[in-house]
Amino acid sequence: MNAILTLIIAAVGLGLGYFVYAKNINKNIVQPDDSKATPAKMYMDGVDFTPAGKNVLFGYQFKSIAALGPIGGPIVAAQWGWLPGLLWLILGTFFIGWVQDYASIIVPMRSEGDTFGALSYKLISPRARGILLVFIYLYLLLIMGAFGQVIGVLFMSKPAVPFGILSVILMGLLAGQMTYKWKQDIILTTVITVVVAFFGIWLGQTAFISNIFAGLNNALGEGGIKYFWPIVTMIICYLGAVLPIWRWAQPTNYVSFWVIALGMVGGVIGMLVWHPSFGDFPAFTGWTVAGLGPLWPILFVTIACGAISGWHSLVSSSGTARQIEKESDALPVGGGAMFMEMALGVISLLTATAATGGWEAFKEAFAGGKFGVFAVGLAAFLSHIGIPTSFGVPYGMVFLTIMGLTIMYLVVRFMRVASAELLGDAIPALKNIHIGAIVALILSLIVIWTGVWQTIWVLFGGANQMMASLALLIITVWLMRNGKQYAWTLWPCIFMFITTIAALLYTAFFTALPAALAGTNIAGNIIAFVVALILIVCALILGYDGLQALKRKGEVAAAAK
Amino acid sequence: MQTSARERIGEKIHHAAHVAGQILYGMTIFDWQRGLRQQRGEIERLFVLITFGDIIGLPILPPYYTLRLLPYVVPTLNRWKRSLLRERDLTDLAELIEGVD
Repeated sequence: MNAILTLIIAAVGLGLGYFVYAKNINKNIVQPDDSKATPAKMYMDGVDFTPAGKNVLFGYQFKSIAALGPIGGPIVAAQWGWLPGLLWLILGTFFIGWVQDYASIIVPMRSEGDTFGALSYKLISPRARGILLVFIYLYLLLIMGAFGQVIGVLFMSKPAVPFGILSVILMGLLAGQMTYKWKQDIILTTVITVVVAFFGIWLGQTAFISNIFAGLNNALGEGGIKYFWPIVTMIICYLGAVLPIWRWAQPTNYVSFWVIALGMVGGVIGMLVWHPSFGDFPAFTGWTVAGLGPLWPILFVTIACGAISGWHSLVSSSGTARQIEKESDALPVGGGAMFMEMALGVISLLTATAATGGWEAFKEAFAGGKFGVFAVGLAAFLSHIGIPTSFGVPYGMVFLTIMGLTIMYLVVRFMRVASAELLGDAIPALKNIHIGAIVALILSLIVIWTGVWQTIWVLFGGANQMMASLALLIITVWLMRNGKQYAWTLWPCIFMFITTIAALLYTAFFTALPAALAGTNIAGNIIAFVVALILIVCALILGYDGLQALKRKGEVAAAAK
Repeated sequence: MQTSARERIGEKIHHAAHVAGQILYGMTIFDWQRGLRQQRGEIERLFVLITFGDIIGLPILPPYYTLRLLPYVVPTLNRWKRSLLRERDLTDLAELIEGVD
């Protein structure tokens, strides 16, 4: 197998999926009507509802849905060989991923801009909204655990990384200051901050700077590193969560975007120039991977983003659907962005397979640091456009760290608001932004310090895919209610629901519980077991309510006929 | 004929560059601009609330100056009422976390 052939296969899948299947459903079932006023136009209030062009929204949607998920999932799934991951990325997006993202724009758009919280209340049951909030909170907590372990424990402890991170953050702060306070031109701001950020990343890997951090790590010792760097990561998250958004989160994300985008563009060019083969990387290693589990159902939650992700439905309904200018824009924005994310997932798979050069090299890189495979692969691609690997690997790690950090402080921000809204009346202290943020950070640290990474990753995927099931259920009920053909959403919904329940049951009873009983990582495995049980119970209640809702709508539709 | 073919190619390149620029804008500073617009929208919403809150049951005596503002506020009143009274839950905030997975 070869990188270019893989890209061609993915392009064929993308082309058939978007131009044949998606366009056909859009034209014959959904039938967008540009003469209808969208909520963005009808309710334009300058706050939630404002129309924007489809190209702008495509960029916004893609940036909102693509991050570490489509990068991490395919790398973990490469343990089954390259074929299962590649097939799931292409077929998952083809039959399920774009369906959910696109319909998650269409349904709220034709329901006066309601979010999925409101829609689950109206279309499924009042408690479905509560269940959705449970999924969201656990999902975010698991993200903090999964990303926190990789970033806080693995990457930040590499001597070449922290200075680069510091540079990007400082340049983000400068970008905010230059734009909002000094009223400087955005192009000038971008050039200065991005160039200095790259210089900082380069400086960070020089012997002079990296020796300082190596000395610090030596002084801390193995045990100290495990606690020190996650705490540093959490301090960064705390600042990002409590400072005004224009001061920290927004400009830091902006500078990070350029650091990441330039790396991706360089990596893709390097890959095309190099077009490596997969070497001895096997297409299929076996039905079960030790520590992860069997191909079905675990693969389908291991790769969530890149194939199908429930979080997209929330972003699509609360953000994009309220900005759509014309109904016909929903497909290029929602469907198009999802197919692009599939392409990102395939590129990530190539960093694990083609870029590492073979099975043994992949296993070695994976054992050295999970997502670190991506950094090594990206550096290998970049080396073919003249960027030395000595810079490429630390740059790849800074790339991943900053990508994770920019998400983590927004997650803490959300968790702080969520705890204040949900528990603020019972525990008034949680309404204090600092206490709310610290509580979220302490919970995250517990998961980081106690959790088993692969188990957390699978549970994170499980919570995500349960949200996808709920989204597809809401869409199906809505289609039934409106007398439209619904098999294209019902079957994906059933598949995702059964698969995710099976994955959660497997993780709870065959991974976490036996490990805890055997005395391995007891606290972390018990937490994982409890989280999996909560998700299963919520999913079963949801399944029951969903069935009732489908029956109700089916009866109403039959009576109407 | 040759010139028109060149013009067509030029137009296509110009269009492609325009689309690429808009996508880049959507990925980068669209959020900043949107954030500022939202802030302005919220302040305006609050302004109408403190001047015409009685429309939704908040007891405010309409003084002379408030009534002078009425013609300017009338076009936005329906949207303002809907925006202020719309039921919200935490999923409304989901869009704030970009690129979360």
